[in-house]
Amino acid sequence: MHRGKGMKFVGDSRVPAEKEPNIPKDYSEYPGKTEAFWPNFLLREWMVGAVFLIGFLVLTVAHPAPLESIADPTETGYIPLPDWYFLFLYQLLKYEFASGPYTVIGAVVLPGIAFGALLLAPWLDGGRERRPYKRPIGSALMLLGVISIIFLTWESVDQHDWEAAAQQGAIEDEVEVDESAAGYEIYQTQDSCIGCHGGDMQGGAAGPNIFQSDYDTDEVIDIIQNGIGEMPAGQFDGSDEELETLAAFIANDGQDPENGEGGGDEDAEGNEEENTEGNEEEAEGEEENE
Amino acid sequence: MLQKVYDWVDERLDITPLWRDIADHEVPEHVNPAHHFSAFVYCFGGMTFFVVVIQILSGMFLTMYYVPDIIHAYESVYYLQNEVTHGMIVRGMHHWGASLVIVMMFLHTLRVFFTGSYKKPRELNWVVGVLLFFVILGLGFTGYLLPWDMKAYFATVVGLEIAEAAPVVGDFARVLLAGGDIIGAQTLARFFAIHVFFLPGALLGLLGAHFFMIRKQGISGPL
Amino acid sequence: MSEKNHRVSRRQFLTYTLTGVGGFMAAGMLAPMVRMALDPALEAAGDSEFVSVGLSEDEVSEEPQRVDFSIELDDGWYSSEQSRSAWVLREGNEILALSPICTHLGCTVNWGTNEENPEEFFCPCHFGRFERDGTNIPGTPPTRPLDVYEVEVRDGMIYLGQINQRG
Repeated sequence: MHRGKGMKFVGDSRVPAEKEPNIPKDYSEYPGKTEAFWPNFLLREWMVGAVFLIGFLVLTVAHPAPLESIADPTETGYIPLPDWYFLFLYQLLKYEFASGPYTVIGAVVLPGIAFGALLLAPWLDGGRERRPYKRPIGSALMLLGVISIIFLTWESVDQHDWEAAAQQGAIEDEVEVDESAAGYEIYQTQDSCIGCHGGDMQGGAAGPNIFQSDYDTDEVIDIIQNGIGEMPAGQFDGSDEELETLAAFIANDGQDPENGEGGGDEDAEGNEEENTEGNEEEAEGEEENE
Repeated sequence: MLQKVYDWVDERLDITPLWRDIADHEVPEHVNPAHHFSAFVYCFGGMTFFVVVIQILSGMFLTMYYVPDIIHAYESVYYLQNEVTHGMIVRGMHHWGASLVIVMMFLHTLRVFFTGSYKKPRELNWVVGVLLFFVILGLGFTGYLLPWDMKAYFATVVGLEIAEAAPVVGDFARVLLAGGDIIGAQTLARFFAIHVFFLPGALLGLLGAHFFMIRKQGISGPL
Repeated sequence: MSEKNHRVSRRQFLTYTLTGVGGFMAAGMLAPMVRMALDPALEAAGDSEFVSVGLSEDEVSEEPQRVDFSIELDDGWYSSEQSRSAWVLREGNEILALSPICTHLGCTVNWGTNEENPEEFFCPCHFGRFERDGTNIPGTPPTRPLDVYEVEVRDGMIYLGQINQRG
């Protein structure tokens, strides 16, 4: 390259006026099978990338990102779970030596040592040797770390109650109750029902939303008479006929079954979609006390 | 035509040396899967970068619809997920990409460790890489809260309790992260700022340093 | 010489393929994102719903009367109530509901407030005037008639829909 006096520039800038030709290096002068980054190697890399991208897009279309119902800080029964890559840390805090008075060990000391060692690896393992089996201590510690992370994540996934998790946080449509229906009037006379399920039938202090489950009329009658889960038996106070009217009203998702408008059908469909399968069993009896 | 545009720019800015520097560096045989199939382990770093690019792009587009406010955050996510055409795909890309970037980065870290590539003279690049690891975990943690649904909220509650367990600075760190005593409006605004401005800024800076050092030092030699 | 030419063409081929693959990756990534960003512009304008204004068909006379009503306005994830008004009158067999927004510069017109022209709509901003059926009077600033609401009569009650331009 030309330097010093006599150099020509473009205008009054410091861009040299003499141009280098835009010619790729000749790789034949290098030994072995070295190849150019552009375009040879990058093409190979991008083909892998393109295949990866197709798989990735298929994944996003096949499995939409999950979204639960809006955050409700007052909900106490929710079992929280961090994203999967924090599970190992979360699981660590379950063990005796890392919880209670020793939380600091699980939350700070152990991860601190692990990640600190990772950060300082070049100085902890200062030898020249690069092959993993020629530096057994470093490799063994790394393997130990990887295996414990996999083990802790596995344990955490194994211990988590996925069935309960699938039920919580589902997005629920507010059920519109037909307040002129005969069943609704009967419900309003039942103090023990209202005590748990609330005056609007949408769940209360001790009972869940009545309409979040899908039972038919006979099953509802059976539950009211015999109880389910923590819901006690024999709470209904009235004639068999009233019981049947109420049950039909509940089974029809809060719409008067006599009313042929079919509004109940739409609701029923909507409900089936929103409710996760297997919701029914526990939902009706959850946290029923007294 | 293109050649003329190139020449016009080149005359003024002398970009040919820059361009030749990017295009012409050599890729040795031992990282090329065409010669040794086992060399595919060397692609994890590039894949991590590719997913990071997807994350940055999809994140930029998501902020067109998202608002960081506890009343409307959930509504806006619900809207973009269910009402906006392809909103579900873009949110899916960001959601699954977040997991994939961690997987790829984990594999990349293992490759670098077991090939001993962090040893002299590449110690600094290893440190920058581990810092990138922390930044990406931080992005995962702060991004998880943003949809403001049940899962997000309670995961953050647990996460901040872990932060609180730290001795001496625990309380301070928790309040600093949550922006107050409760996890609520201020926490969401803070996590949004951290997720969208602070950590991506750090990420880009560190990535620049990472790539600069790779170019300067070259890929570590064969074992 | 010939070998050199061969090498260059191989390199060019690789470069073209590389650009193609890169373009494919960029398109694959960006297509859903760009479509999402363009969504508001590409979305077909939905037909707005008809809203009752609390006025029965019999109450409408030749004399324009002002009705105020509110509509539910959906703005993405945010919905709000907005108040609207209209001048409702009978024109032959038809019922007309005129928007009170002056077609000149968007002020609000009123019926019969100008003492010299009591049987006209009058805009106080630039003295724009409109006939009883909303036609703009030549020589005044407005250049087109007042916009009209879509009108529907259900069970004898007046329902107004979206606003349309005339002329």
